[in-house]
Amino acid sequence: MTTNRKGALSPAKGGAQKGIIDFAKEALSQGCFDAVLIPSRVPAGDSFAYFLIQNEAVLEGATPLSPIMPVQGARVISSITRRGKGKNRIAVIMRPCEARATIELAKLGQVDLENITVITMDCPGVIPLSDYFKDTGKGDKVFEDASQNWNSQPMRSVCQICDKFSSVGGEDLHIGTMGIKSDSILLIPNSLKGEDILNKIGLSPEDGIDDWEASVSKLTEQRKKKRNQSNEGLRSDVEGIDGLLQAFSTCINCHNCMRVCPICYCRQCHFDSDKMKFSFDDYVTRAEARDGLRMPTDMLLFHVGRMLHMSLSCVSCGMCEDACPMMIPVSQIFTLVSDKNQEAFDYIPGRSVDEPLPLTTFEEEEFLEVEQSYAGVSSKQEGQDD
Amino acid sequence: MTKVLSIEKSSEDGLKELLKFLLENGKVKGVVALRKMSEDGAISYSLISSPDDVESTVPLFPLMPVNLAKQLSLLTLMEAATEPIAVVLRPCELRAFIELVKRTQGSLENILFISSTCGGVYPLKMAVEGNIGERLPEYGKALVQGELVPNTRLACQACEYFVPYTADITVSLLGNKGIEKETTLFLNTEKGESIVEGISGKFSEGDLDTAAIERIRSKRRTEKEKLSDEAELRNLGIDEINKTFSRCIGCRNCSKVCPACYCHVCFFETETSQHGPVYYERELQKTGCVNMLSDTIFYHLVRLFHVSTSCTACGQCADVCPVNIPLWAISLKMGESVQKTFDYLPGKDMEEGLPITTFLPEEFAGIV
Repeated sequence: MTTNRKGALSPAKGGAQKGIIDFAKEALSQGCFDAVLIPSRVPAGDSFAYFLIQNEAVLEGATPLSPIMPVQGARVISSITRRGKGKNRIAVIMRPCEARATIELAKLGQVDLENITVITMDCPGVIPLSDYFKDTGKGDKVFEDASQNWNSQPMRSVCQICDKFSSVGGEDLHIGTMGIKSDSILLIPNSLKGEDILNKIGLSPEDGIDDWEASVSKLTEQRKKKRNQSNEGLRSDVEGIDGLLQAFSTCINCHNCMRVCPICYCRQCHFDSDKMKFSFDDYVTRAEARDGLRMPTDMLLFHVGRMLHMSLSCVSCGMCEDACPMMIPVSQIFTLVSDKNQEAFDYIPGRSVDEPLPLTTFEEEEFLEVEQSYAGVSSKQEGQDD
Repeated sequence: MTKVLSIEKSSEDGLKELLKFLLENGKVKGVVALRKMSEDGAISYSLISSPDDVESTVPLFPLMPVNLAKQLSLLTLMEAATEPIAVVLRPCELRAFIELVKRTQGSLENILFISSTCGGVYPLKMAVEGNIGERLPEYGKALVQGELVPNTRLACQACEYFVPYTADITVSLLGNKGIEKETTLFLNTEKGESIVEGISGKFSEGDLDTAAIERIRSKRRTEKEKLSDEAELRNLGIDEINKTFSRCIGCRNCSKVCPACYCHVCFFETETSQHGPVYYERELQKTGCVNMLSDTIFYHLVRLFHVSTSCTACGQCADVCPVNIPLWAISLKMGESVQKTFDYLPGKDMEEGLPITTFLPEEFAGIV
């Protein structure tokens, strides 16, 4: 694959993370933006959070390549801009799946990108929260070792099968770290905003990006294969109502998968609304109609409903699975379904902010085969009526 | 002395026989109890209406997938039970439901409450690993001997209120040497007494073994002190609070599963609690740096403040926390101190008013 894209090498003597911070500091001091939104260690030291930073000294301690994803960055951007864009121009440095979710939220009217510059970097994945908090010191070490070798084994299940761990297209600027000399990072602008930043910090995108691209494509191909295998392996287990019921059998209806999901943005989920409150007689009638009624009720309806609502925008970030107290492989199941749905619409969430959401796009000639089968049904019925 | 019904079967089987009797004889329309949902052992509460379905229930299984108080609230929120039902639940769930009813989130009408002297439940994580089955013999042994059951929820190991207060029927389990052969049911209320009329079993009078109960209580108290020390929450000042909640990811799952958190929309999910860009600009100007998760401590403090009089220390919050914050210990500490101040034990007595809605002219004179 060759493109005309070019990049600019920037020094990273102290490793990729340090290189990213140095770049952010330089861009901040050159007035490319007013503040940087970036993961950093919390003051107590045992976890990470997004910090909105203006102070260059504070920025020094940021951890763009933090070992965990406690909150999906798209949610953070949404909380800052959902009520309006504000005066500050903010650069957010986030993982590709977070950037993709951010772009989806922009299309869904939950993020205002006007004053936001989205910067992504090649992502080694993140460690599951439950693994990390067993021993945070060990977690830091495991992540460091694994990320240096692009070993995804200790990472979230969906990180292990992630084929969009690098530039996806919707970001303003991507930072390449794969396949290039370890003492530099590759800044690849992807929009006018991105180009402007390079201009202001006195770099011009003249360096070839072939080596980086070759490394990225190689891993992408490997991951695609692994993803397909994983999807196929899971399919037989979860297919059909019985399969799904089995997969979610331990679900306690806490809906935490929904609350940490960047795409599930509804202020009030239907499944937590009054619509899901029933009279005593309703409960008894339902219990009588089958062999008893599971309580809490409507467990599978919630998961399938959520799937239907967000699968076209699902970026397989894995937050849902990390937040599930019953360790149900939620994100793997959702990945399986989302991949198929997105493929059907030839849609990749977060690929471009200009690409409209499939559900808001009307095409006259779409899914004729679906129409065809219904046409058959209706003509048969008409025939019977005659 | 309390009326006692003995059934010559193990506690679980005897209790199931009682449930079957109630359904078969039309004494109740339905039963809510834990039930095996699939072959691989997933356990969930279930409302059943047919006597045939009693066989698949596991009413004494040591797991609390959800705090049943929350479900009973849903079941009776729109209207009180129009026909009698029986529910089997743990003492902390029963107390939590009484609190919800006091807060007009449900109704006690037409419900027969069956509870037990409780040995505690295993953490949800253990249900995930699927090895609770293997632990049941160990659980049973500790139960009979009145010992702390190893590996149960820390909240359970520290729980002093394992004897139900307002149950119509109490299954005697803790420290009861005969649970393998005989089911001992204390019929605490008139409702409990009259509903079992006609069942085959031995009736007598008696009391729970108070010496055994006290022995277990003192063990639990000692354990509570020990666990509180281990959780390093003895002196819960602002520094400790900051440190304890530093890893919170703001998912608020602790509130979603909490029976005392019944608000339909939590304040922290309302528009009022959301910041606009102006807020961030102002904060940024002040310090040059804004922690985007800083509101989590505010959330936890407000939640503790709101639930402390009604918290029954069930431990559900800690079990669902994705980052293992020892929420059970924090809630317990906060709950205990607030409840002690008001001389109030949540869920003990339906007639006792909530401290916050009870005005006493002579209260806390020192503060006033």
